[in-house]
Amino acid sequence: MPRKLSGGLAGAGLLVVLAAAPAAAHHSFAAEFDAKRPIRLEGTVTKMEWINPHAWIHIDVKRPDGKVEKWMIEGGTPNTLLRRGFSKHSLLPGTVIIVDGYQSKDGSLKGNGRDLTFPDGRKLFLGSSGTGAPRDGKDSTEPKR
Amino acid sequence: MSHRFSASLGVLAAVIAVAPVAQVAGQAPTAAVKKTAAAKTKAVSPARNTPRTSWGAPDLQGTWDYATITPLERPKELAGKEVLSQGEAAEYERQTLERRNPDRRDGGAQADVSRAYNQFWWDYGTKVVGTRRTSLVVDPPDGRVPPLSPEGQRRAEARAAARSRSPAGPEDRNLWERCILGVNAGPPMVSSAYNNNVQIIQTPGYVVILNEMIHDARIVPLDGRPHLPKGMRQWMGDSRGRWEGDTLVVDTTNFPDEANFRGASAALHLTERLRRVDADTLHYEFTVDDPQTWTRPWSAAMPMRTAEGPIFEYACHEGNYGMFNLLAGARAEEKAADEAAGKGPR
Amino acid sequence: MRTQLPGALIAVAALAVLPLSVKPTAGQVRAHKAPRTADGKPDLNGIWQTMGTAHWDIEGHVARQGPVLALGAVGAVPGGMGVVEGGEIPYHPWAAEKKKENAKNWLSADPEIKCYLPGVPRATYMPFPFQIVQTPKYVLMAYEFATASRVIHMDNPNFESPIDTWMGHSRGRWEGETLVVDVTSFNGQTWLDRAGNFHSDALHVVERYTAISPDALWYEVSIEDPKVFTRPWKMRMPLYRRLEKNLQLVEFRCVEFVEELIYGHLRKKSSK
Repeated sequence: MPRKLSGGLAGAGLLVVLAAAPAAAHHSFAAEFDAKRPIRLEGTVTKMEWINPHAWIHIDVKRPDGKVEKWMIEGGTPNTLLRRGFSKHSLLPGTVIIVDGYQSKDGSLKGNGRDLTFPDGRKLFLGSSGTGAPRDGKDSTEPKR
Repeated sequence: MSHRFSASLGVLAAVIAVAPVAQVAGQAPTAAVKKTAAAKTKAVSPARNTPRTSWGAPDLQGTWDYATITPLERPKELAGKEVLSQGEAAEYERQTLERRNPDRRDGGAQADVSRAYNQFWWDYGTKVVGTRRTSLVVDPPDGRVPPLSPEGQRRAEARAAARSRSPAGPEDRNLWERCILGVNAGPPMVSSAYNNNVQIIQTPGYVVILNEMIHDARIVPLDGRPHLPKGMRQWMGDSRGRWEGDTLVVDTTNFPDEANFRGASAALHLTERLRRVDADTLHYEFTVDDPQTWTRPWSAAMPMRTAEGPIFEYACHEGNYGMFNLLAGARAEEKAADEAAGKGPR
Repeated sequence: MRTQLPGALIAVAALAVLPLSVKPTAGQVRAHKAPRTADGKPDLNGIWQTMGTAHWDIEGHVARQGPVLALGAVGAVPGGMGVVEGGEIPYHPWAAEKKKENAKNWLSADPEIKCYLPGVPRATYMPFPFQIVQTPKYVLMAYEFATASRVIHMDNPNFESPIDTWMGHSRGRWEGETLVVDVTSFNGQTWLDRAGNFHSDALHVVERYTAISPDALWYEVSIEDPKVFTRPWKMRMPLYRRLEKNLQLVEFRCVEFVEELIYGHLRKKSSK
């Protein structure tokens, strides 16, 4: 017998079911990165590895004492970006980015790029059709089309 | 609003042909639509405008995207509801996208780490399937994968135990973390988080199913040759193809003990069916028959639509920093625990 | 050059009508017209494999000791005539030194040992079969080693790759009887053989596949990489059709064979 649904499918049970999916896809990140070691870094891109299974963005982070730390930040598959028109010429060395994430469990200078933004708060690699975001010309990493 | 269609095969074929996945506006759900989704695509009269190759075979070629928001299994909360109305589908999509949005930062640190990275890296798909069924599973009728057999249950528990404990080595992780097989390529193929892409290439003697993850080219001979000997087991099994009318039927056996699909076993006998519905749509259906793992065979169907762009290289093992990191992390945690407990190095 | 004559007579007739400038010598392409595909192109479909020792060393070499003592004769390097036109690879001086260093560090440095994708042209002459599945728009080459594959985009010369890859970006076209494949956008991390011969990410490869008999192709590769070589150079070798009935590529994913090698140092030590 069909269950009576409210007009908005707003059953909390349904939401619980859906919540499981994204975490399961990358619980390996929970094995790599430490939830107890949040990081927030501002760094200059030195190179981006457009590789699978995860892209890696290398940044130089200048510490208050003047020392420069070389960090590697893990992202997702670059293939979804390539399909939206980005390329190895997007996110060039010298670009300043902010990384909000978690440090690796072994304490090395690696982190996941939980949230990647420019210093003005705009997210990296937007301006594509995948999320419906309009191409408004504000994203310097956006391919010129 | 509901329409009543006759249940004739010809009309069912027409329903499939005019229900492209990419658009939300489709046919209203009816008894005929349900029957269509559940029916095995045996020899049917060709859909209108089925493209054909120059040697007259149905043309399945193209680069196809099988991203969809429709889950494999019908959510328990939707039990008994086989198809969504247009309005319900739109709401379901909205809620799923909102719930799934990895840019949300609520839920605590552990959930935050597991959400991994920004929305722009993901490509789960944003639409339900064109038929608005509530599950990809079409058989059993409740839209859920049948229960595991006792042997299947035992193996599932062993697997879960291996995944949850600190990994001793790569063998404790799943096949896609090890970069041996892709998460969505199976076989069978099932929609997942990104790169739900496959390219199909055909010659008179072969159909090639080339999955993006992990650059797997299944070269399926159509000449009726026998399968490999039983003793030869391959990660993706051994596939043989034949035409049944306009449907390509791919028969795959010779899987190893730990096949890549939901814990299937060496007893897995997989049947996949591919049929070109229209210029932009491929209908893909599979039947899983593994008596060692599930109590009965089961089937699912997933439409594929023309992909944007080509298949890109997915070299996985070559760039698998993640495996180093998770093993190094596990060893670091053990060392810290030992030191905290006052023990010497292991 | 079509004829209904039996085999030996066909060969003689072919020789007789060749212009002098293309008289076959050792290593030259012999004229042969392959059967046609449905779209009228030479049919190169099939499973192919090289013979010889190019995978060990593309330059001419005598047999030498291998680095793994326990393998004895099995691990020794067999001798072979080279496939490099002119014999020697024209390295810049720094690159010649780098090649020697690669050779010395073969076990740790050769990407093949770690089961990494072999790149082009190395994939062609690995000691494994590969399959050509040929259609008008795409030609698939599926290599048994590491389940490597590449799709050659036919008649799409302006299609550029957005990134650099292991197997490069392949664009093909037909020149008469020859499939010409232009490969660019390499990431520079593959080698050319097990002897340490290498290239950079500036590598540009042009391959030419031509049928020379019903069961053999002539394979010629032009290598250009101004960072590493002083000039372009070529390799050439036959590709032989695998004739066994019902032959198929058998999986050699190989990742599972190298996990202990690569990650073994991070394995949990048993307390036993």
